[in-house]
Amino acid sequence: MSLSKNASSDGKTLTIQIRGKFDFNLVQSFRQAYAEVGEQTEKVVIDLRETDYMDSSALGMLLNMKKTLGDSIGSIHISNCRPQLKKILQISRFDKKFDID
Amino acid sequence: MRILVVDDQPLNCTLLKAMLEQQSYHVEVANDGCQALEVLQSTDIDIVLLDVMMPVMDGFEAAPKIKQLAGDVYLPVIFITALEDHASFEKCLAVGGDDFIHKPFDRIILSAKIKAHARTRKLSQEAHLQKKQLEYHYNQTEREHEIVEHIFSNALSQQVKFPHHCDYHLSPASMFNGDMFLMARSPMGGFYCLLGDFTGHGLAAAVGALPASRVFYTMVNKGMAVNDIAFELNNVLYTLLPGHMFCAAAIVELSESGKSISAWIGGLPDLYLIDQEGVVIRTLEAQHMALGILDEEEFERHLIHLEVKPDQRLVMATDGIIETESKQGDMFGEELLKSALLSIPMVTTADIIEKVHTFSEHGEQQDDLSIAIINCIASEALRTESTTYSKLPFSISMSLNAGQMKDSDPILELVDVLSQLEGINEHRSNIFLLLSEAYNNSLDHGVLGLDSEIKNQDEGFFEFYQLREQALVCLTDALIIISARYCPDSLSLFFSICDSGNGFRNQESNDTELHREHGRGLSLLNEIAQSVRYNHAGNEVEMVYSLQ
Repeated sequence: MSLSKNASSDGKTLTIQIRGKFDFNLVQSFRQAYAEVGEQTEKVVIDLRETDYMDSSALGMLLNMKKTLGDSIGSIHISNCRPQLKKILQISRFDKKFDID
Repeated sequence: MRILVVDDQPLNCTLLKAMLEQQSYHVEVANDGCQALEVLQSTDIDIVLLDVMMPVMDGFEAAPKIKQLAGDVYLPVIFITALEDHASFEKCLAVGGDDFIHKPFDRIILSAKIKAHARTRKLSQEAHLQKKQLEYHYNQTEREHEIVEHIFSNALSQQVKFPHHCDYHLSPASMFNGDMFLMARSPMGGFYCLLGDFTGHGLAAAVGALPASRVFYTMVNKGMAVNDIAFELNNVLYTLLPGHMFCAAAIVELSESGKSISAWIGGLPDLYLIDQEGVVIRTLEAQHMALGILDEEEFERHLIHLEVKPDQRLVMATDGIIETESKQGDMFGEELLKSALLSIPMVTTADIIEKVHTFSEHGEQQDDLSIAIINCIASEALRTESTTYSKLPFSISMSLNAGQMKDSDPILELVDVLSQLEGINEHRSNIFLLLSEAYNNSLDHGVLGLDSEIKNQDEGFFEFYQLREQALVCLTDALIIISARYCPDSLSLFFSICDSGNGFRNQESNDTELHREHGRGLSLLNEIAQSVRYNHAGNEVEMVYSLQ
């Protein structure tokens, strides 16, 4: 379980990648990861390609992020979900608030 | 040095033999052409002194046969002649004679001629030996190349083709390709490709392709991010390749939906995002140094992200294309490449290569030519293979005390154990979700007595987990029992989680309250599990999950 973040070379995209388990154990590091979103950041990508597990606390963390960032950024993408995680996001109607790819 | 004297006159033979032996040559004697051939077959002879007029087989007839017998190595044939006319000289030369010596013999002239021809003979022998060695090495190299080529073509052959996603062309300048183009699909359905160009061309340039392709396929198979793949490739090549060799590369991932691209580009010419007509929408420049130059610490992982549409295409090529020269020495260049893209709608790599060849007037190819065009389309759904499930019933249970609740991750471990059962691994994310929700409910609300209402306040979400941590530290006396049972007949998993807390029914008894308290978690449980049932007290939950 770990979290890493990466800004694109033009500084417009911030990618937060979560490995293993996405749950409340990451609550602090996740909050720190998006605290650095600056004025030039247009898009945040939550990359779940290496995420095996998530629970409702992860959903809460994502909603919190959405609330904190508000309109200051263009969009939040949740990308590269494994099929079961995608289903969990759909059941929770997250596709209405996030761009799920 | 061994000399063969061929003459039917015993006097001539004796005379020549004496003169030559005096100069420390070994001498053999034959009396006609036939005898001469016999001697040549049984003895190594370096120079032949050949009389013209002889019985049985004369010199004119013998000379070509002697030459034939000598094969590739120069065997000087010097005619001994009393004839003086030009016609005879010409005939001697025509049948293969190399020189003449006149009767009566002059010691000095004879000695000079023998020495000169002996030198030529020696040079010819050395050249012949070297030629044989060269042939041997050449054959050996050919054979080794064939073996290596076999290995390369098997290691790098695309087992899976992606005709809808990608059109590509590779033409190496020599037997081995210093360029490589790899494609693969990740478990999440994304399409990955890598275009690489190693320094130089030929075998030396191609060796790096083997380890690089292994790394690429392995990491795509795990669905790793493009910059992680670049990082790993860089490490492998940095370690393996000599200092002056590296690999310019573009690594591209097109998401399953076909809507976004991420790319890591190092040292390669510009990539172009084009529309169906070939108009360049965006130019992607390399932002990094080629792979294999920087060490782990210096390596840069920045990516380029692009939102793309289904009618857009990404063009990538190695420098062999733009650096192709015309007969006048002009380069094909980026502008001609861009106009080639515009030449017809939905241009193919074959169209572009044709233009490059026309430009060079089909001259000899100087570098490997590689180009690929990716269509930004969604991936076809992955085939789901039918899963087989274990036929054996299975059950496991664990009783956790306060200490274990504090410093272990029981759900992760339990899911790991269950995932070992045949067919269950596919469901591990769902199983984790069910158990994690139920366990955290038991721990947070049942055992620790926390109120999740806090989560709904501003900053409450974070505060809740701080409170939880504090409460957990102080926890001394508690019990949570988790049990899991697999029933192969119904292909179901039965879970129960029971805690030593008071249960929520003691405080709250109506269903709407229950729903609010467990919020999003409980509704997820209900969607994913076949059934979820709490006992009357509210300190035990039973869930059934169907694998079908």
